[in-house]
Amino acid sequence: MKWQIALGTLTVLATLIVLAIVGVGEPKRMAEFTTSYNARQIETGGLIFENNCRSCHGPQGKGIEGVAPAINAADLFNGDRLKAIGYAGAVEDYVRATISSGRPVPSQGTSYPQRMPTWAQRFGGPLRDDQIDSLVAYVMNWQDRALQEAAKVTPTPLGEVVGTDITIPLPAGNADQGKALTESNLGCVGCHILAATGPAWLPSGDTPGIGDRAASHIGQADYTGQATTPEQYLLESIVSPDAHVVEGYAAGIMPANYGARITPQEAADMIAYLLSLR
Amino acid sequence: MALFRVHIPILDEVKSKGLKPALRDKVDDIFTRVTAGLNMRDVRGVLRDDLPGRPNPRLKPHAEGFWLHMKPTYYHNLVDGLYPTFRLGWLSVYAFAFEIITGVYLMIYYTPSPLVAYENMLDILSNVPFGRLMRDMHKLGAEVMVIVVALHMLRTFITGSYKFPRQFTWATGVILLGVTLILSFSGYLLPWDQLSLWAVTIGASMAEAAPPEVVGTNLNLLVRGAPEFGAGGLLRFYLLHIIALPLAGILALGVHYYKVILHGHSLPPGAENAGEDTARKVPMNVRTYFMPTILTRELWYVSVFTFLLVAYSAFVFHAPLEPHADPLVTPLHITSPWYFLWLQGMLKLGDKVLWGVILPTVIIGLLVSLPYLEVGPSRRYGDRRLGLSAGLLSVIVLAALSYMGTPHYAVPTSPDQEAVASLLPQTQPGPLRLAPWGQLVLGSYQAAEWQQAPTPAMRELLHTFDDEINQVQSSERQNVEGIMVVEDWQTDLKKVTLRVVWTDMTTNQPNEFSQTAFLHRSSDYGQGE
Repeated sequence: MKWQIALGTLTVLATLIVLAIVGVGEPKRMAEFTTSYNARQIETGGLIFENNCRSCHGPQGKGIEGVAPAINAADLFNGDRLKAIGYAGAVEDYVRATISSGRPVPSQGTSYPQRMPTWAQRFGGPLRDDQIDSLVAYVMNWQDRALQEAAKVTPTPLGEVVGTDITIPLPAGNADQGKALTESNLGCVGCHILAATGPAWLPSGDTPGIGDRAASHIGQADYTGQATTPEQYLLESIVSPDAHVVEGYAAGIMPANYGARITPQEAADMIAYLLSLR
Repeated sequence: MALFRVHIPILDEVKSKGLKPALRDKVDDIFTRVTAGLNMRDVRGVLRDDLPGRPNPRLKPHAEGFWLHMKPTYYHNLVDGLYPTFRLGWLSVYAFAFEIITGVYLMIYYTPSPLVAYENMLDILSNVPFGRLMRDMHKLGAEVMVIVVALHMLRTFITGSYKFPRQFTWATGVILLGVTLILSFSGYLLPWDQLSLWAVTIGASMAEAAPPEVVGTNLNLLVRGAPEFGAGGLLRFYLLHIIALPLAGILALGVHYYKVILHGHSLPPGAENAGEDTARKVPMNVRTYFMPTILTRELWYVSVFTFLLVAYSAFVFHAPLEPHADPLVTPLHITSPWYFLWLQGMLKLGDKVLWGVILPTVIIGLLVSLPYLEVGPSRRYGDRRLGLSAGLLSVIVLAALSYMGTPHYAVPTSPDQEAVASLLPQTQPGPLRLAPWGQLVLGSYQAAEWQQAPTPAMRELLHTFDDEINQVQSSERQNVEGIMVVEDWQTDLKKVTLRVVWTDMTTNQPNEFSQTAFLHRSSDYGQGE
């Protein structure tokens, strides 16, 4: 019986020692959990952004001119944007509030055609509070780089722009440059993307690439644009998107300002790339 | 004449006996009240394992005290050691108490509402001292309790202790087993993460299958509080978990304990003649008194048990916590809790009503009525070859069914999704999230060229991916390629895309399945939850 009493006493002591070890480590462990949970919120927020926000706010949140403003931008994080609209709170609160309740009216000085919908469930949207928190954590994680990049970049003037006349002669295009432009912050793939195959101008299933589609569209009876060649059709689609709307899509969705945003060389590059897709 | 006469008895004692003896007698008196009948000299004798006097003073606490009246005063010395009981019944009771203590700790920080339940879990893990340990111990204790209770029943079956006169004890034991399982199961839902929601959904869907339809529909409403789990279902499971089931457990436990005292512990089957029960007629020379021998053994047994549970939870076992419950997203490979995998396995065999409702009901009915149906008098192993073989067979069948309940058996999925899930599973962190973040080098990689990957971690990931990609290849799917793309996305955040592309030979069209994960430098999935 003596060894039983000894063993019982020893294990009770050992249990207390284990509890003491755990107790000593608790502050550190709790801090580590908080750090790692915040990191996981950013990961979750990334997925939510890709699924819900990217189509308007563009890849990497760089914004799409004429659709929705950039979120991954220095003026949001340095407070200029908040000052401009007279918001007195912190950036994070502003982001959370805007995501939750959406944008029923446009901010002064902006004229985006679409209103931002509400996203939080308590405002009638689809996302739970924890998802909103994750999304906010993801957006706020752009802060450092957005501020750093703004310090580095000096905006270069665009120079001559292509305009909306589709009959002007274009210089020779470089398809590789064009491909890069479609993935740039012009924001094309923010909207023109299909789940299964990626960018919508690639061949997909029975549908050929945009090069063939451009050639066939201008010959169709319901074609309402002015283009007479596939090159002109593609330029028209970029700079005057409502001149002809392909069946199944609605007019007025694509921003009509690309004529003022790209140079003739850039237009030629993109058209060269798109025509190469058969 | 004084208005009040204050009478302090101890002063009278001091006057008659002197200060020291009076105080000593008073202390001894208080001591005797606390121990319900043992004075200091008796307790010293117990601790020294001296022979008791006559009449044995150590029997008094059994008669006068509340706690020890639930314990037999003496055991037959054939049943006082590990064999044949292995003290599993005592351990079950202790596990129950362990769960109550850790559970109450967790209750303080928990609100049964889908709006905050998950947030409460995060709070317990990030802001409550000993919060994670308590949660881990509660979860580990629950699983151990299921094992201990099941083993206790198996032991009772093997030694034939369910036979006359202990049939009713067995029946209350089956109720206690049910209470244990449902307690464990109802607790599963409370963290309100994906694991809990979907594991419990599997179980609750069986209620819906109960025939006829009007019963199933209403039973389902009763269990879930609504057609699907939500605020109502969570509150119901919470109330079941903290009030209804513990109360039922304590009541059944009271009856069970009383019957154990009443009938005594059955002797090993070979120790008495077939059909005889001599547990209540223990000759003086083979008695082992509860105090001190059995008490000491029970105490050291649970001390060691507690130490193992605490140390294992502190350093090894961590209860999982998955992402927030989402009724709209069904993860790939959901399973019920392991102790209900046999049910999930049966459900895969065919009709939900037959395998999920009728058969389990029959099994429970058979278990309860076992001692009333199987009335052979002998408890000896040699006389019960058929019964013991049937028991052994049941255990084997249970194990096989449990295996069939896992995702390894007969789950129709597409191999492309399986390939992606091999690195990025939906019910646990998995290899990609556990890989060292720094070793995920930016770039695009072919699974087939895993040997050229720049870091050991990536080679291992791509190798696993490649093995799975080879499973996708079939007569319908050709030119299968696995691609992993790692991109720099934000500060300390990488985006990893896993793509499986193939040519569908029936339509001759390219096809693709892809999934994206974001990985943060500090997300650290290695800590358990």
